[in-house]
Amino acid sequence: MKAFAYINPTSEKDAVAALKGDGVVMALGGGQDLLARMKDYVTQPDTLVNIKNALDATVTAMPDGGLKIGAAVRIVDLAGNAQVRRLYPAILDAAGLVGTPQIRNQGTVGGNLNQRPRCWYFRNEEFVCYKKGGSRCFAVNGENQYHAIFGNDGPSHIVHPSSLAVPCVAYGAKFRVVGPAGEREVSAAEYFTMPTLQNVLKENVLADDELLTHVILPAPGNVKTGHYEVRYKQSRDWPLAFTTVVLAMNGNTIRSARVVLGAVAPVPWRSEDAERALVGKPLNAETAAAAADAAVRAAKPLSGNAYKIQITKAAVKRAVMRAAGLATV
Amino acid sequence: MAPKDDSPDKTQDDRVNVSRRNFLKTAGVGSLATAVTTVGVAEVAAQSGPATIGPGDVPVTLTVNGKRLDLRIEPRVTLLNALRNRADLTGNKRVCDRGACGACTMIVDGRTVYSCSTLAIEVQGKQVRTVDGLANGATLHPVQQAFVDTDGLMCGFCTPGFVMATVALLERTPNPTLAQAKRGLDGNICRCGTFVRIMEAALKAKGVARA
Amino acid sequence: MLNPQNPPPAAPSPAAPSPAAAPGGAPAGQGRGGGPPAPPPAARVADKYKWPARPTLITTSVKRLDAPDKVSGRAKYTYDINRPGMLYGKIIRSPLAHARIVSIDTSEAEKAPGFKGVIIHKTPGTEVLFQGDEVVGIAADTEERSYDIARLVRVRYEQLPHFANVEQAMAPDAPKVFAMGNTREGNREEAGDLDAGFKLAAHVVEQTYSTHVITHCCLETHGTVCEWDGDKLTAWVSTQGVHASAQQYADGLKIPQANVRVITQYMGGGFGSKTNVGAEGLICARLAQQAKAPVKLMLDRKEEQLAVGNRPSAVAHIRAGVAADGRLVAFDGQSWGTGGAGATSNFPLPYIYNFPNRRRTHKDVYINAGLQRAMRAPGHPQGCFLTEILMDELADRLRMDPLAFRIKNLPEKAANAMWEEYFTIGAKAFGWDKRHATGDAQSGPIKTGMGCAAHRWGGGGRGSRAHCDIMADGSVVMKCGTQDLGTGTRTIVTMGTAETLGLPMSAVKAEIGDTIYPFSGASGGSTTAAGVMPAIRMTAGKALDALALKVGPALGVDPQTLTASNGRVHVIGNPSKGLAWKDACKLLGTEPISVDGEWVDGLSGNGTSGVQFTECDVDIETGIVRLRRILTVQDCGLIVDKLLAESQVYGGIVGSLNFAMFEDRILDRNTAQMVNPNMEWYLMAGMSDIPKIDIILMDGPEQRARGVIGIGEPPTVSTSAAIANAVRNATGATIRSVPLHPHKILQAIEQEKAGGTL
Repeated sequence: MKAFAYINPTSEKDAVAALKGDGVVMALGGGQDLLARMKDYVTQPDTLVNIKNALDATVTAMPDGGLKIGAAVRIVDLAGNAQVRRLYPAILDAAGLVGTPQIRNQGTVGGNLNQRPRCWYFRNEEFVCYKKGGSRCFAVNGENQYHAIFGNDGPSHIVHPSSLAVPCVAYGAKFRVVGPAGEREVSAAEYFTMPTLQNVLKENVLADDELLTHVILPAPGNVKTGHYEVRYKQSRDWPLAFTTVVLAMNGNTIRSARVVLGAVAPVPWRSEDAERALVGKPLNAETAAAAADAAVRAAKPLSGNAYKIQITKAAVKRAVMRAAGLATV
Repeated sequence: MAPKDDSPDKTQDDRVNVSRRNFLKTAGVGSLATAVTTVGVAEVAAQSGPATIGPGDVPVTLTVNGKRLDLRIEPRVTLLNALRNRADLTGNKRVCDRGACGACTMIVDGRTVYSCSTLAIEVQGKQVRTVDGLANGATLHPVQQAFVDTDGLMCGFCTPGFVMATVALLERTPNPTLAQAKRGLDGNICRCGTFVRIMEAALKAKGVARA
Repeated sequence: MLNPQNPPPAAPSPAAPSPAAAPGGAPAGQGRGGGPPAPPPAARVADKYKWPARPTLITTSVKRLDAPDKVSGRAKYTYDINRPGMLYGKIIRSPLAHARIVSIDTSEAEKAPGFKGVIIHKTPGTEVLFQGDEVVGIAADTEERSYDIARLVRVRYEQLPHFANVEQAMAPDAPKVFAMGNTREGNREEAGDLDAGFKLAAHVVEQTYSTHVITHCCLETHGTVCEWDGDKLTAWVSTQGVHASAQQYADGLKIPQANVRVITQYMGGGFGSKTNVGAEGLICARLAQQAKAPVKLMLDRKEEQLAVGNRPSAVAHIRAGVAADGRLVAFDGQSWGTGGAGATSNFPLPYIYNFPNRRRTHKDVYINAGLQRAMRAPGHPQGCFLTEILMDELADRLRMDPLAFRIKNLPEKAANAMWEEYFTIGAKAFGWDKRHATGDAQSGPIKTGMGCAAHRWGGGGRGSRAHCDIMADGSVVMKCGTQDLGTGTRTIVTMGTAETLGLPMSAVKAEIGDTIYPFSGASGGSTTAAGVMPAIRMTAGKALDALALKVGPALGVDPQTLTASNGRVHVIGNPSKGLAWKDACKLLGTEPISVDGEWVDGLSGNGTSGVQFTECDVDIETGIVRLRRILTVQDCGLIVDKLLAESQVYGGIVGSLNFAMFEDRILDRNTAQMVNPNMEWYLMAGMSDIPKIDIILMDGPEQRARGVIGIGEPPTVSTSAAIANAVRNATGATIRSVPLHPHKILQAIEQEKAGGTL
């Protein structure tokens, strides 16, 4: 890792100001992602700004019945939060499945949402890919078993690595962002960006001098939710595919639905096909299977990852089954 | 790059996470500054706001196994490397150096961390516990004794990390179910394949781990 | 050292394994034909030194002696050695899979703060043959600066054509990448009459089976700390052989071996990859010489994954026939595999079972990847997997229980090869009778299945020497230049000494892991226990003889009638006629006992075997396999320390589980660069991936009579095959390659639906 200077601000304002420094300045959250990238010389900042003492580390109830989650909240605290458990069980499930105990202890909500892709071409210095300023994605004709099966029309074929991003999109969260020009709110669905040749160096709309400070979750209302992750290794692994479904109910009929897929696209992938298959239907195993079929209908796998279609189907079906309170296997 | 402030008399305060803004008001050039011979030493930043320290050596004060440790290291030095290379606390091992194996597991303020993925400068003011400080003289910690009794180790290179993970697990959940114990130790890898007996050790030490 | 791959005497392998895969043979083996030279005849153990019929320590469970040091962090591994004024070494390696070095510019590096030395390991004009090939070494005053300086060394390369996999290397239009040719034909092995065999076949299976490349991924990476005192070198080496390392340093540095001392008190895993100090060891010594300061050079994880060993791949196209009565009649196999950029890849095939009529050819294929090194039971996991999957397929053609089918085709029984007994005992303990026919008929996505497989290993050992001191105050020191890889050598050396001298463990000090102690061979091929224990027994026995010469006259008895037990030296059969140990030793006066001893024939054995059973769940909607339980029945001769022997077996099983399920060295097919040189995407089991594991160690008079034999390798052979067979039994789909990635499981299930893989 290259030597760097270190700044430890204690307010949002100071943290934002610190990001304006000379050279490449980056925000340091839990460090589990950033420090590894720095050791591999994939990322070489001149200055790190520790934002853990500057950003909110609490979970606050909002007047509308929702929650405001500070970006500096540790994953372990999110996974143990009673309000989150009551209101947003899919976020609790996702948080509890992040990494390992050590990573949950260190990792922050902001860090999880903003972490860079785990793509092995991106993570190895030898491969100068689009995301490192190069002019190709090595996955296309390479080892792409863990890459995207949706959203493959752009230049990059990563899957978004964040576990929390998927339920955040499913619950209709907004992200509060602060920068030199003040603060703004961006819906979670719009925060994450599909790769284009213009924006491929990033996975979201956050500018270099901005910080994500809060996740603001609206009151969930009368919903049923289900979250399901498929992992190869049970101990610690990145999911092969996962799904959060949030269903607004009218009796046992699904009034509206959000189905968001993880680990299958460069962004948390909202499946409107699956949502259409759910709306107006009774919540049961048959509907779950239909939604699963619909969810993968538009999948466009790469050369070596068509198997993820079946796995995604299983994840969608089982997430809906969980929402219905049915056994998944 | 413009010179940044890393004068050591200020950075020392960082160990208790004193606000930069506060200590800047009181900062002067202390005697320690004369000892600075490293690259990157610079003048006090003129503007207000938090100080920039490094990239050269800066004083870092850690509390490890209850003892104060004064080091001069660059901000980039990880907690693991600081203790292994600068303090000869070599109990915890460096294996993957990327937070994927758990051999470097230490307990910081009661929670396990991968010390390879934690900067030393960030744990100033916190209580760091390593495997080196676990035993009470010749008397092993109950978790350590359980590993010995069940032969929950072979080459022993993952063992310090597994011991620390087990201690943290049992301090938080004194009587874990088998599933809880497994989940609690999922952040560590053993290459010799001693998992069955590590689990025996963890369950044997249930309820007897002291904080 | 005996060829550790020698099969059990009564169970000869139809295919002699390649010497290239022998532990200690590292990537070598090139041009080494035939087997190792026949060992010279060794002395046979005298009756009085034979292992006791009723031992007090041997065969019991004794706790690992150095466990307290390991659990407390006090144990100092090579990685933990910090010397005054120590520098940090770092190697600059080729990022390319195949290139010629055009130029090396170290001028910028030499100007950087903290620079302390540079060694050009490969000069311009030289070819690098794989990503990670060593080019330059540097030393710096701090570890952080060593990374900075390494990046300031400018190496220019001319890229050359490369192969990322065997398909590329075997393509008809492939460029010539390797000077010795891209492939090398191995021996052709034939027996019986193949055509006649196939004529007898009622069923023939013709399929391609394969295993992949995995890395040793030792937790303590390869590396050394080197310190010179004038022309004398002290090296702390993470090695499986201290004496072998000293010889390699002497050869590599052109210095007298007497000037080299190698120390390995604790070692963080080797699995066959640490039998050579390697480029990293020599670079470290040269940097220390140049900088006139101690240097530590430990590889990082990426280097460990790229450059210091792996298990070669294996592929075989097999046509095999079975007669209607269930007898195997014919085997025709063409195999190939890669051990990387110039190393061999042979393995035994077919494995264990009797194919009276057979033909087998093998081809080494070279690709631009790190060279293979012996890896835990070299060759056997490959041969076992390829054969055992075939066995289940053949059994199904016959509609025969796969276990009964195996028993029907076993080689002749021997004391170290009693598979029928193991299968029978294991089947009962495992509940094999509850196994359903191929394909779980239960509804729902979770299918459950059982599988089994058998294995063998050579083991055996010889040549170890030891030295024993007994002082007048009663203290005992046993010195042996062996090393403890985590296998428990330190503990069993102490046990053997204490057993022989009739003392408690605490009364004996074992000194190992240092070339100042008598020669012992490198620990590879499960040879350590069988090599070291006879030497310990003989040396302790001779020390006791020497003590008896003092005690006999004092008691007024013939020294020949004396023995030692329960802390006393006494007349055989009459414990009261004797002296307490301390009183006996007082008779030594000012002249302590100091004797040497060595390995003799008759205290250790050669050849071992076992079987394994597994049960797993397969989620057919996701392709995820979850192991429920594993059971092994393992022969291990005379067990020295039961607790430690069991740990070895657990470890072997977990290693094989990883081979079956998770580990995979993945090279980018276009650049031949490894995409997962880490521990995040190089998957290995964690706690939640480990099933219930039950161990049955064979421990009867037949086993004990054969003496001590190593147990590190045999249990790691057959688990992977047993798991794949369990997956097949669960799903009805045959997986003919590892790892059992969901991708493959789903594909096989699809194929099965589309017309069957049977």
